[in-house]
Amino acid sequence: MNENAGKPYRARLGFAALMATVALAVGAKTATGPGERPVALAVTPATAGASQQPATTGDPAPAPATAPTSASGDGNSTSASGDAGSSGSNSSGSSSSGPGSAGSPSGSGPSGTATAQTVTGDAVSTRYGSVQVQVVLSGKTITDVVALRLPDRERRDIEINNWAVPILRQEVLDAQSARIDTVSGASYTSYGYAQSVQSALDRAGA
Amino acid sequence: MSGAARGRPVPPRWSPGLAVRLALAAWGVVVVALWWFDTSASSVHGAGPAMTAAGRVSGLLAAYLVLVQLLFMARIPVLERAVGFDRLAAWHRGLGTNVVLLIVVHILLTVWGYGLTTHHQPLSELVTVVTTYPEMWKATVGTLLFVAVGVVSARAVRRRVSYEAWYLLHLTVYLAVLLVYSHQTATGVDFVGHPVNRLLWQGMYLAVAACLVVWRLVLPAVAVARHRMTVERVVHEAPGVVSVWIRGRDLHRLGAVAGQFLLWRFAVRGHLVSAHPYSLSAPPRPDRLRITVRATGDHSRAIAHLRPGTPVVAEGPFGHFTAEHATRGRTLLVGGGSGIGPVRALAEDLLARGDDVVVVHRVSRADDLILWLEFERLAGNGRLIVHRVVGSRHDLGYDPLAARFLVAAVPDVAERDVFVCGPPGMTRAVVQALRGLGLSDKQIHTEEFTLR
Repeated sequence: MNENAGKPYRARLGFAALMATVALAVGAKTATGPGERPVALAVTPATAGASQQPATTGDPAPAPATAPTSASGDGNSTSASGDAGSSGSNSSGSSSSGPGSAGSPSGSGPSGTATAQTVTGDAVSTRYGSVQVQVVLSGKTITDVVALRLPDRERRDIEINNWAVPILRQEVLDAQSARIDTVSGASYTSYGYAQSVQSALDRAGA
Repeated sequence: MSGAARGRPVPPRWSPGLAVRLALAAWGVVVVALWWFDTSASSVHGAGPAMTAAGRVSGLLAAYLVLVQLLFMARIPVLERAVGFDRLAAWHRGLGTNVVLLIVVHILLTVWGYGLTTHHQPLSELVTVVTTYPEMWKATVGTLLFVAVGVVSARAVRRRVSYEAWYLLHLTVYLAVLLVYSHQTATGVDFVGHPVNRLLWQGMYLAVAACLVVWRLVLPAVAVARHRMTVERVVHEAPGVVSVWIRGRDLHRLGAVAGQFLLWRFAVRGHLVSAHPYSLSAPPRPDRLRITVRATGDHSRAIAHLRPGTPVVAEGPFGHFTAEHATRGRTLLVGGGSGIGPVRALAEDLLARGDDVVVVHRVSRADDLILWLEFERLAGNGRLIVHRVVGSRHDLGYDPLAARFLVAAVPDVAERDVFVCGPPGMTRAVVQALRGLGLSDKQIHTEEFTLR
């Protein structure tokens, strides 16, 4: 017997079931851990360390720049950082800083109060790609954050960067630390951004 | 049907059709699992990301169900045996609407979700996605094809579109599947940078493609070479009704039995592309087959003008409308209109087996009583009774196949296997009447072999 003959409601039921499946899957996923932080896969220490530059404090929205050649990841990230302040470093080996010599700020001395220095943070590898930032400090004040490397595997990533990164930068400037809120819809990038900022601040001794 | 299964099959509690559905559902769960294990809960936080996530899940499901749709139509012997061509066609039709809707939902949710997250208007976000994302223009064209097929298959439109136009548009679905494939692996979050998922996904597509190539291209081509069927002659049975005798080699190796149908293509201009289902109207012989066709569409009208020698391509056989499913030794066959064709073939098969057979031949006008001489000849041996019921329900003012008339004509109807073949309205009414007389669904055998 033709199963759907005279039973058009069956087709509607089928569609309702499909939509219910979709809603159930997404709902269940949301319920599994609303507060869970996205997990960074690995952290590559900045090999270049910090460079002495005049601070470009007035720099507007940081362009989603390509990574400088010096920031290409090396695999020698072994030593774990003892910093308790790095947020959400609950994953195995997610937070590490490079060897002290490479990562130390080459500013004009720790006591220079108004000296601008630029510190490069770790390249934090996330689910969608690496995030690496440069923090511009004037003394102990964060005056700018420049994104060196952002996820760009998909067209979608770039679109997210364009909108989320200015928000993240402003959050860091407002908070004067890496303890910032995750931007909804850009959770991985937010996490990587915060991690990279934190590593840069560690390096600068701020 | 395989010859080995002949006899008295006991319908299992777990019907093969249910097993097929469970297997398909299980694979659907695997597809959703691709997404599940690849998505962190926090990335679904907020309205925009949640909508995008729902869009992704519906996209994955839609892609999977499109493949299921192709499988239903791939003429895979296991599926044909377990489910049957007519039910597969019905599933295909029922699921088809839902798949097209799901594709639309996938686009709406994904784009809207993106828009919410990035604070763009949905419409401008749609333009951005279509124009800037990789492989997205192909997906757009593919989607438009899917929607077009969905629209012409909708009940209201289907009636106004010729079978040939509908069929040709349906063929473009293969192109649509290829077009939308690339956006899945190029931009799909669950596939970019996930080689295992990607392999699984590609394997799924390749498996379906292999099924289609084997059972819809290679084996039919082999059958053409082996059987070399041609039209032998065309016999006018009644106004608008013709029988076509088809000659060929080794036709017994088709495995067709009386009551089954094949998908026919005739090598006439404009009719080689689309296949049409016609039942055998006589038990198959090793060198000859016969179909009886009523002129209802372009194709069936053209059949009246077929010339002897015209090459014929046949796919099949299909259908459960066979003697194998009659297990009680007593059978009632109800044939309406051109549905009398398979009834005629089945009657001969059942009589040869020694069954007690009653045929009800239902027509609107006496002119339509085709093949009646053949029924007379079959009735000569005394075990066949033929009731001819003439007159449209409108003219008569009642349904002559209502339960009270059926039981008056065939007092032991409740102890018989009943086969019903005819227009959908008649089939439904008779099945209703039979259920009212206390027949179980296992006793009632119907087949509606419309392809759309």
